[in-house]
Amino acid sequence: MTSATRSSVIGTLVILTVPVVLALVISEALGIRVVDRIATIFCINLVLVLGLQVFMGNSGILSFAHVGFMGIGAYASAVLSMPLQMKGMALPELYPIVKAIEISPYLGMVVGGLVAAGVAAAVSYPLMRLSDAAAVITSFALLVVLHTIMVHWHQMTNGPRTLFGVQSATTLYIAAGVAILMIFIALIFRESRTGILLRAARDDEVAAGAIGTNISNMRWRGFVLSAFMAGIGGALWAHFITSFSPNAFYLKETFVILGMLVIGGAGTVSGAVLGAFVVTAAFELLRLIENSINLSGVLPTQLVGLTEIALACAMIGILIVRPSGIISAREVAFPDALRRYLPGTHFTRPKQSRSADEGGTQ
Amino acid sequence: MRQDSLQARGVSVEFAGLRALDGVSLEVVPGEILGLIGPNGSGKTTLVNALTGQVPIVSGDVVCAGETITGEIPRKIALLGIARSFQIVRLFGNLTVRENVETAALAKGLPRREADARAEELLDEFHLNQSADTLGDALNYGDKRRVEIARALASEPRFLLLDEPAAGMNETESDTLLDMLAMLPEKRNCGMLIIDHDMPLIMRLCHRLHVLASGRTIAEGDIDTVRQHPAVIEAYLGSDAKAADHHA
Ligand SMILES: Nc1ncnc2c1ncn2[C@@H]1O[C@H](COP(=O)(O)OP(=O)(O)O)[C@@H](O)[C@H]1O
Ligand SMILES: [Mg+2]
Repeated sequence: MTSATRSSVIGTLVILTVPVVLALVISEALGIRVVDRIATIFCINLVLVLGLQVFMGNSGILSFAHVGFMGIGAYASAVLSMPLQMKGMALPELYPIVKAIEISPYLGMVVGGLVAAGVAAAVSYPLMRLSDAAAVITSFALLVVLHTIMVHWHQMTNGPRTLFGVQSATTLYIAAGVAILMIFIALIFRESRTGILLRAARDDEVAAGAIGTNISNMRWRGFVLSAFMAGIGGALWAHFITSFSPNAFYLKETFVILGMLVIGGAGTVSGAVLGAFVVTAAFELLRLIENSINLSGVLPTQLVGLTEIALACAMIGILIVRPSGIISAREVAFPDALRRYLPGTHFTRPKQSRSADEGGTQ
Repeated sequence: MRQDSLQARGVSVEFAGLRALDGVSLEVVPGEILGLIGPNGSGKTTLVNALTGQVPIVSGDVVCAGETITGEIPRKIALLGIARSFQIVRLFGNLTVRENVETAALAKGLPRREADARAEELLDEFHLNQSADTLGDALNYGDKRRVEIARALASEPRFLLLDEPAAGMNETESDTLLDMLAMLPEKRNCGMLIIDHDMPLIMRLCHRLHVLASGRTIAEGDIDTVRQHPAVIEAYLGSDAKAADHHA
């Protein structure tokens, strides 16, 4: 990475951290439970959307399987970190070996990410040779497979029924910290060798092949990292919500995460952050409105599904006006005039950037 | 035939029964510039595609520096040191010019710093510094062409195949390009094959010519030999006459 790229990555990181820090500060200042809840949900959504961006944004291939990996992370961490005395009740059929394990939920989050990445690494290689419609439909098939396994693997998931007794561990601070880390990872990946070649293949597969790019290998790497992030996001969510069933990791969640990314702009990390922020805020606002209308009884019937319909309409509207989302190709950048104040960068004018590169450290 | 050259040996290519190439043999030697000419539809692009693995070969062989690469996938062929440009430009539209050039060095497996340095050199050489941070899609046509050539060179190829690199350029642009291309093979010790319809440009640039018509070789050799070759005159006049008929 040239020093110019490094300084622009740091600049972008600083800007993209703002919504997360803002959520944290507002929540702290107000001290209202519901605000803390919404801020935490935003951070968790952000982790999931960033994970999807890493694969989908850089490879240009729509992936439906993402939420399946979220589920793997959620179950892995929930089960492994469940208190021993809870396990007999929550998961009566659990294998004896797993029954004897109780790890910290924070370690569980990392393990959840690793398990999701491991599964992705093992199953996805053949899928990565596919492009276009074939790739999309196989990713959908993968989601169906993962969902079916979650529904039927009674020993580990309690089957289609709700799994109770998951440790509560995800605070706003933890969610925000992980979200910022994931922004950093997504930005670094985008500028990495794999990231650049993946984006090249996204823009023109034939040309990428003609310069010697191993396209399926680059895609595979992106997919595994993406699944790792999804697994961590799922684990964060599991330790926040503390009881859930396999249905949480299916079409509705897929639509929400996909919607956030597509509205914000899949091609950039900035788009992922913006999408997660805007859509989470709009969602929670609409839900508030929906609830108060229903409570007040002004309407003869209960209002349901307002949030989903609004998201669907927003998605259609934005895609008509801006097919690549709000922030499509370029990351938000720190204004040149202010860059000198960034930590760890020595901003140089473009004319001098060559000599700076030679002296820079990799 | 030389040991270190890129060779097509009796290569034939078919598209749904249509024989686009019929037993064509051609050799590109390191350090030389070979012009590949012929009327529209004579199979020039198809020959480049056959050399780089983009179309399947029905019969014949492609040999690169003694190694038979017939039927290899484009990626493997690229990594063996055969780089190309496309008749219809193929840039990475959402990558910056710098990134576009860098990709070829990265794909080749160069360490990041070296890839950066090489891209920077090529941007200098091709006068692309001003637009280094512009996205590929936002460039004008002439710049796109130059970026594509710079990208091909970033992999330090042994052979560079250029499919109509000056098409769509204005006269100044194509003159500048010609000056740049003329020095390449010697400077970078690579063999270069160039397709173009601009005969004055081809005559000034190339050391040797290879002429195709209807998928067959009709002449090859140095410029004067080819220029006076009856089959060449006939093919060019013939196709011009046909084109004139067509427009009438
Ligand atoms: N992908 C393809 N499918 C079918 N026919 C093709 C294809 N590519 C080229 N051709 C045909 O092969 C012949 C040679 O084409 P081409 O190599 O593009 O000629 P040139 O580059 O000399 O103008 C033409 O008749 C063209 O129509
Ligand atoms: Mg052609």
